Amino acid sequence: MSRLLTTFLGAASMLLAASGSAVAQDYPTRPIQLMVAFPAGGSTDIAARIVGAIAEKALGQPITVVNKGGAGGQVGWTEMVRQKPDGYYIGFINLPATNTVILDPERKAIFTEKDFTPIINQVLDPGVIWVRADSPYKTVKDLLEAAKKSPGTIRAATTGILSDDHLAILMTEEAAPGVNFRLVHLEGGAAQFKEIMAGNIDVAFDNVGSIVNRVKSGEVRALAVTDDVRSKFLPDVPTMKELGYPTVISSSTRGIAGPKGMPAPVVAKLRDVLKKAMADPEHVKKLEDQGIAIKIMVGEEYDKYFADAHAKAKKYTEWAKNRPQK
Amino acid sequence: MDTFQHLMAGLAAAMSLQNLTFALIGCILGTLIGVLPGLGPAAGTAILIPLTFQLDPTGALIMLSAIYYGAMYGGTITSVLINVPGEAASVVTCFDGHQMAKQGRGGTALGIAAIGSFIGGIVATIALIVVAPPLARFALSFGPPEFFALMLVGLCLVTGLAGRSLLAGLAMAVLGLLIAMVGIDPVRGAPRFTFGIPSLYDGVGFIPVVMGLFGVAEILLTVERPYREVIKTNLASLLPSREEWRRCVGAITRGTGIGFFLGLIPGVGAIIPTFVAYIVEKRISKTPERFGQGAIEGVAAPETANNAYANAAMIPLLTLGIPSSPTIAVLMGAFIVNGLTPGPFLFKERPDLVWAVIASFLLGNILLLILNLPLVGLWARLLRLPYQYVCVGTLLFCVIGAYSLQQNVFDIGVMIVCGIIGYGMRKIDLPIAPLVLGLILGPFLEKSLRTSLEMSAGDFSIFLTRPLCLGLLVISAVVLIASALNLAPPEVRKSDT
Repeated sequence: MSRLLTTFLGAASMLLAASGSAVAQDYPTRPIQLMVAFPAGGSTDIAARIVGAIAEKALGQPITVVNKGGAGGQVGWTEMVRQKPDGYYIGFINLPATNTVILDPERKAIFTEKDFTPIINQVLDPGVIWVRADSPYKTVKDLLEAAKKSPGTIRAATTGILSDDHLAILMTEEAAPGVNFRLVHLEGGAAQFKEIMAGNIDVAFDNVGSIVNRVKSGEVRALAVTDDVRSKFLPDVPTMKELGYPTVISSSTRGIAGPKGMPAPVVAKLRDVLKKAMADPEHVKKLEDQGIAIKIMVGEEYDKYFADAHAKAKKYTEWAKNRPQK
Repeated sequence: MDTFQHLMAGLAAAMSLQNLTFALIGCILGTLIGVLPGLGPAAGTAILIPLTFQLDPTGALIMLSAIYYGAMYGGTITSVLINVPGEAASVVTCFDGHQMAKQGRGGTALGIAAIGSFIGGIVATIALIVVAPPLARFALSFGPPEFFALMLVGLCLVTGLAGRSLLAGLAMAVLGLLIAMVGIDPVRGAPRFTFGIPSLYDGVGFIPVVMGLFGVAEILLTVERPYREVIKTNLASLLPSREEWRRCVGAITRGTGIGFFLGLIPGVGAIIPTFVAYIVEKRISKTPERFGQGAIEGVAAPETANNAYANAAMIPLLTLGIPSSPTIAVLMGAFIVNGLTPGPFLFKERPDLVWAVIASFLLGNILLLILNLPLVGLWARLLRLPYQYVCVGTLLFCVIGAYSLQQNVFDIGVMIVCGIIGYGMRKIDLPIAPLVLGLILGPFLEKSLRTSLEMSAGDFSIFLTRPLCLGLLVISAVVLIASALNLAPPEVRKSDT
């Protein structure tokens, strides 16, 4: 009896596996939802719609962008990890924001870094340190010397607590011992610009994409890009590596992932289609016109980047939590 | 670009076929809301926000603004014809307007109201165009401490002027602030008061709350009221005689001035300007005994004042981001839903949008004059619609609207609960304005307070060492003390819209 049952179960499971792989090979047979954890009209959303519109032609099924904004992305990511890993619900993850949501105990996130299947990275927007055009700080050296001379007085703006910009400030403080900023967490690039221009903030940490037009118009001055290579959008601005701070490497990335446990053929199909779409001249032009740098990473490279970003975020999140002035 | 160029670009945008259509739809819906007794501008604007989700932000804001000032026009019709104000700001119009209708001069009353409203609206908009840009430029230099103090002044004025008891006003303002704290902490990112319910992570939605507090609650109250007979009056002769014109010129001029200046002060609300304008006319009239017996100035002055007020009240919103009444707070909610925070920064960064909306006020006032003068008979006929259908229809619309916000049933629940709370608050005479203001300003107030303290590394003296900030804090204190001592005149203190 028990043997019969075993045989039956074995046959059933084989059948199930076979049908599963058949499903994976036919994929996709219905529309795919592409979740964006930020409201419509934001930079992640705009880039998602551009790549979605190109990829759906090759995929043969519509890709619908679904905005699940709120709580700095946490609402959307919570939604995504709860979905079936069948490839019909994928979404954008924003490293290191996704990591810091996981790592910050106050957030009580229901997901961990293991709950995602990374598929492909789309954008890597490096960090930038910038001041008002008439600021006394002409270089990073000026800024760091001032922050060392009178610690805790130079008001430095982030784009939110535990954002990549917050981590960049902590990296700078680590790389230049004695330097200590007074942190002011603002809600984004627009707020930073307003407060810098009104003289309420001394220096801002943000990403190249949000500031490139204002550097060109001469309203603000970029002091350094927190990367190891110069940004093609700000070719005259030195990198922190060039300036002797090789550990100050911080950027904001956006990539596409799914819930954990997606079948390999589905991941492969999505990866190939999305990779082609991201290399499409239309995609490249539309993003670069906004000063957003494309960086396609797939497979092991992206897995490794995810793991590195997580490790780095972990270190600085813990540090941020223990810093006397948060 | 200077103001003139911005205005011309705005006019061009507002006159595009698409935006003109939105303004027209807004004006029609607004007039309809004004005509339907019980449904005020705040309720109307709130329940119609979901209609605009598919539009681009400019179109959406043009339409919602048109609904707001359109309702100010429409309220007159019911005041005159059935002696029930279509919205609270038309209460005063009942005094003489309804008498005029009984004497067979209803058409003239409606005519002068529409003309006065038009003049008041246009003049106030032109004044807005002149005043707003320098004010916004000045406000751009405000930092978080100044904005914190400014919002506090707004909140104190609304609280101090609302209702008969300062204590009740303060309690409601604090309740609004408390509800605003539900959700993710804007600075530290920790969930607060969410009880593990994911729908609460983004806070209690402002739109479903105001749809409930105003829309649902007002429908419930309307159901209680008896049906009123529509007066059959002469609607053929809309234009006043030469003698009546002579009487009205002064009334309209003074009404415009009163409405405009009171519109600049947060918390005044739409009713006070109408009362003040009426009292001023009665005081300076050589024949004050005619007032209450069908004096045409008694219609012209308050109707002009309420529209001048409606357009002037956009100034603090557009330049400072301070809503001065619940209806404006609802409008601010509509901006925020569209991803735009009204204030000096929006004025600078999105002049295209701000000026298109301002220019649409000019066009909207012209559209309303057309809608109200020749078509007034059509609106009067709408008054014969049986209440029960109107109420059920509106309620259905509210439910669909609340659901369409995020396709979340939770929002319908929030709206219904708030509807019941709003009904109860009106029954026991608790002011709603401070609650709504607290709710919409809460997140901004908290953020600017905490950013200020981050700027000063936790030192509260930052609020005292910046002169402008200190001055504003002193004003808040003076407002609260004056209100505790009952210094404001009684007509001013009982209004709540």
